[in-house]
Amino acid sequence: MMTTKSLHRRSRTREVLTRLSAYLAILVALILTLFPIYWIAANSFKFDIDIFAVPPEWLPRNPTLKHYEQAFIQRPFLRYALNSFLVAVGTTIVSVVFGTMAGYALARFNYPWQWRKQISFWILSTRMMPPIVSIIPLYLFFNYFQMLNTKSALVIAYTAFNLPFATWMMKSYFQDLPIELEEAAVVDGDTRWGAFLHVALPLARPGLAATAIFCLIISWNEFLLSLIVTLTEQSQTLPIGIAGRVTQYNTYWGEISAAGFMACIPIVIFAFIVQKHLVRGLSLGAVKG
Amino acid sequence: MLKSADDGTLTAQSQPGGGLERWVERHLRYVMLAPTVLILLALTIFPSLYMFYAAVHRISPNPDLPWEFVGLGNFARLLSDAQFHVALRNTVVFTVVAVTVEFLLGLGLALLLDKFIRRLSFLKTVLMIPMMLPPIAVAITWKLIYEPQFGVLNEIMYRLGLPLQAWAGDVNLAMFSIIVADVWQWTPFIFLLMLAGLASLPVEPYEAAALDGASSWRQFWDLTLPFLKPVIAIALLLRVMDALRLFDLVFILTGGGPADRTKVLSLYIYQVAYRFADPGYAAAISLFVLFVTIVFSTWFMKRMRLAD
Repeated sequence: MMTTKSLHRRSRTREVLTRLSAYLAILVALILTLFPIYWIAANSFKFDIDIFAVPPEWLPRNPTLKHYEQAFIQRPFLRYALNSFLVAVGTTIVSVVFGTMAGYALARFNYPWQWRKQISFWILSTRMMPPIVSIIPLYLFFNYFQMLNTKSALVIAYTAFNLPFATWMMKSYFQDLPIELEEAAVVDGDTRWGAFLHVALPLARPGLAATAIFCLIISWNEFLLSLIVTLTEQSQTLPIGIAGRVTQYNTYWGEISAAGFMACIPIVIFAFIVQKHLVRGLSLGAVKG
Repeated sequence: MLKSADDGTLTAQSQPGGGLERWVERHLRYVMLAPTVLILLALTIFPSLYMFYAAVHRISPNPDLPWEFVGLGNFARLLSDAQFHVALRNTVVFTVVAVTVEFLLGLGLALLLDKFIRRLSFLKTVLMIPMMLPPIAVAITWKLIYEPQFGVLNEIMYRLGLPLQAWAGDVNLAMFSIIVADVWQWTPFIFLLMLAGLASLPVEPYEAAALDGASSWRQFWDLTLPFLKPVIAIALLLRVMDALRLFDLVFILTGGGPADRTKVLSLYIYQVAYRFADPGYAAAISLFVLFVTIVFSTWFMKRMRLAD
């Protein structure tokens, strides 16, 4: 006859088993997530002959920095990385400054005829436009103003999709801040603008940081617009440089692995810096109205 | 949020300062909004108008030749263009399969971590890394893994005694390969949104359900899923909109091949515009994509809100 004790023991065993299989599943997910990143890193440190080895070398037996030298000293990948960086920073400054102001306005002020809702939605909807739709007009636009192959053209184009994001993220951040502090500042004789500048803005610093980092990441990763707008070494970004080494006839595995891995590193560092705001940042911008 | 909104009149009477300063203060709500609205108007209205204009013309690659007005001719071509139909089909297949798999994996993983590992936020960040990486770097990483001769995947197949494959180069596996790479990169996005959703669940209904002896399965169906519904809706919407514009992965991994099996709409538009030098027709296809995106997202948002 089954006693309650053995029943109890059995459910304990089941619990332990469930827990173990959960950990196992998470472990598998971790391995699947990290292996590709490890693999590109490992290959960037191998000589060409070892990249082509069959069976593959799981650990670089003969590590070398040759491909980094090739990519960043002999070929212009340092230039590409610098372009990527400058364009990302420029885009981020423009988007965060204007996006914060607009986000604040939409969070705090009333507009006649329900404009607030309409404008908010319109700003979000510009983000929905697939970039492929706007590449041809943007190309002609920059061509007309003789801005093809310039970094400013990229900043303008990237702002088109970073600004809506920044506006929405800052809007939801400000909506979460209590308005009473700003009201108190105004009662104490500050202007409305002053209340924004001296009270709301400092409080929104975490939101600003998260928004800025997301803008940096989005711009750093962008490919299609850069592919269309830039053709010269002086203006091309890292992703374009990498794609350029995958040709119909040859793929320069070592070089693109080195450049690709270098393109990932700043992002991974950023990810850990914003770790705290990651969930809040990304989801707030998207989830809350 | 209406409560917290004011119309700026709070301060209009009392403030010192010059004429300009006072003017700015009085119209602050417009001044703060204006740059963003103007920039976005310039960057979206111009392209849209241009696209409508280009879509009703035949544009010769020779810039000296005038544009020829063809009315709805470019749109009529959509009906008979077999390549367009292939691209449309590929895009739909990719979007449906990739987003479904990403959703199931992302939700599952979020539930696991939420239930079993609540403390280690470090672990969560690690799991989110792929979604932040440059899609081009992701594409070459998977290109390396899929490489038929010396790639890791075929090595694993070999060790398991399975037949070696060309993966991205194989007619039947190319789309599968693209989807796997996309799932790798974007499951973390769903995972992230689901984690955020789970973190904001109320505690009380679960306590009540536990008192009533509801199984965890029941709790998931009756409580968790309904609570998560708004987050799920947003996550799916954003992923579908992104999947419809897939470009980078295909550009690097397959170039649309083999035999057009992975040619998606973005890539086809790119080819029509730049390789076939037919921007008028490319504009027509772009407008079609834009139209589908808008119709789908409006329908989806309405449906989700109605069902609430």
